[in-house]
Amino acid sequence: MSRVFGWRSAVAFAALAALPWLPGVPKYYLLLAFDALLFGAIAMSLDLLIGYTGLVSFGHAAFYGLGAYATAILLERGILSLWACLGFAIVVVGLYAAVVSYFATARRGIYFALLTLIFAEVVFTFFRYTQTFGGSDGIQGLPDALVFPGVAIDTPARKYYLVWVYLLLAYAVCRVLVTSHFGRVLVAIRENEDRARFLGYNVQKYKMLACMISALLTGLGGAIYPIRAAFATPDLMLWTESGEFIISVMIGGLGTLVGPIIGGVFFTLLRDKVSSYVDWYFIVIGVVLVVIVLFLPKGLLGLRRALGFGRWRATA
Amino acid sequence: MKRLTWLALFLAVVVSAVWVAAPAMSQSKVVKIGDLGSKIGVFEGYGKYQTMGVQMAVEELNAKGGVLGHRIEIISEDDETKPGPAVRKAEKLILQDDVKLLVGAVSSGSTMAVMDVTKKHKTIHWNSVSCAEFMRTTKFHKYYFSNQPDSRQQANGLAKYILDKMGKKVYLFYTDYAMGQSDGRQFKTAFEKLGGEVVGVAGAPLDTKDFSPWFGAINASGADVLFLAFAGTDSLRLMTQLHSFGMTKKYKLAGIDCFLLQQDLAAIADPMEGFVQLNHFSPYNPDPNMQAYNARFKKKFGVDANIAAGSYDAVLFWAAAVEKAKSFDPDKVAAAHEGMCRDNTHIGRQCIRKEDHQVVMDMHLYQVKAGQNLPIARIDGKDAIGEPMVGKDPVEGFTWEIKKKK
Repeated sequence: MSRVFGWRSAVAFAALAALPWLPGVPKYYLLLAFDALLFGAIAMSLDLLIGYTGLVSFGHAAFYGLGAYATAILLERGILSLWACLGFAIVVVGLYAAVVSYFATARRGIYFALLTLIFAEVVFTFFRYTQTFGGSDGIQGLPDALVFPGVAIDTPARKYYLVWVYLLLAYAVCRVLVTSHFGRVLVAIRENEDRARFLGYNVQKYKMLACMISALLTGLGGAIYPIRAAFATPDLMLWTESGEFIISVMIGGLGTLVGPIIGGVFFTLLRDKVSSYVDWYFIVIGVVLVVIVLFLPKGLLGLRRALGFGRWRATA
Repeated sequence: MKRLTWLALFLAVVVSAVWVAAPAMSQSKVVKIGDLGSKIGVFEGYGKYQTMGVQMAVEELNAKGGVLGHRIEIISEDDETKPGPAVRKAEKLILQDDVKLLVGAVSSGSTMAVMDVTKKHKTIHWNSVSCAEFMRTTKFHKYYFSNQPDSRQQANGLAKYILDKMGKKVYLFYTDYAMGQSDGRQFKTAFEKLGGEVVGVAGAPLDTKDFSPWFGAINASGADVLFLAFAGTDSLRLMTQLHSFGMTKKYKLAGIDCFLLQQDLAAIADPMEGFVQLNHFSPYNPDPNMQAYNARFKKKFGVDANIAAGSYDAVLFWAAAVEKAKSFDPDKVAAAHEGMCRDNTHIGRQCIRKEDHQVVMDMHLYQVKAGQNLPIARIDGKDAIGEPMVGKDPVEGFTWEIKKKK
């Protein structure tokens, strides 16, 4: 267990759990925190692929959006159980991820990236044109989901704890994976795929598994989004969304798990605050990204070292 | 190095504290209102003019002492023309900034998503640009009000004119999201009811760059009239491409009220020549009320006003309702709105219908001549608005199926 949760992780999660109890915290900040932690958790899931396996996916938004639609479809039809929504999302995203990962992991480098992008665009176009799922407007006006009969996830605090639990479990899964033999094989594949294959590892199987796990974690993140926002739209699957996930991983620090969480949180807060002041906020975000890439190649986690706190214990 | 680290941390904490505390410190005797709309994207122009309308109304109100003794402050947010950011920003405006009125959004898809937020958090919500029909029917809630003529009002007013003066066979081309679908459904229903024939329908996604793949079907349909339900930069691209294919000369053209802002009309005057639409504003309408409003707007911003004039009236309606209710309580203010009328607006008298909170107002049929929207007929508001249908689908049983006439 200690390899999963060091004292720093425990303190961080305890502090996050205490957030709704802080006096004077506006409800909006809990919803913003939901978005930030969700974005961070998805960036962390993507880090399994980019940071640990060396596979850049430009199609993670499709897993995210499919998870969201799975929940939205059930909620719209009056099936309000959180567990049913999550289960349905696992099935839908799992099936799609199996197909994508089978074909995409058979190729390397740019071809993997392009295949994930193409699959995602197909899914995006399908939902955008299909009126059964609301077309461009998506599915809106969803009711609150229920944890148990009579216990609705209907307040900002409850929604916040939902994402907190999701982040906690996703972090535990990712941490166990990257510290296991499986994680070390992924790093070996990233460093030298041919050598890993020569050593007898079934490289495609490992890459497929990494892709599936990353996709399922992202899909589960997508599944809880409509519970907070009450809608699911095709925009959630757009390639720009995938781009923002990748940006978050880069901002935070590749191959660190914690870095992408911080990157996702930083990106969400920056976008929220800057967009309230200027219309051209993407230019500001772009400049920040350029500065980070130029001066902090290890991402925001690299800042710790620059500030004299020593190096973050990276497992890769 | 360590000192530098602590100094950086200290500064970060101070900046964060000021950032969080600043909104709380400026709240005495100030009431905030939210302006939510597209500042970028396909509907950028509408969002910017909506903001201008809100600003003009607030300046006039503040000059007279504000509302209930409170100075009004506007907080503008960009929804990126997408439901996701629209919901996020609406929550920010309501839960963090504590706005008592939310004006917006621009895209119908975003406005419908925002309606769930304003319903949940009991916030007075005015729509003055979006025109999908669902807002005053299936999505309606008691805090929602609109002075934008919706699809049903536009279709009711326009269908008869097209049938009488332009042609009996119409091809219906729409932008495939809430607004375009709604306009298409309503127009097809109204036109067929009057005996006209819709010979073809097609939907193109929002923000389509190339419309030419649809032109073959239009040309093969045998239509007299092309009815276009697009808006913003989509309209600009569509008209340019139709013109380059010679189709603006081949067909008579008609469309929805927000098809194109007057400001964009001059740039594509040739393709738009003869285009007919039902609208509630044109700077070229000699009506004294409209000219008076346009003169004030032009004096302040240096440009002509447009259909986003509705946001100006929305703020004034809300302020009057607050004064009438003597409270900012949303239930009391919502009740005070019902049945309220305002005279001498840009379109004359505007009254809020109690049942569905839709403003009843006259409109004009306009035709584009040399880049100007010129009035050709006035439609009484009561003739166009249709019966209240809260909670019902106004065109239940509707089908896009083409009914060929012999």
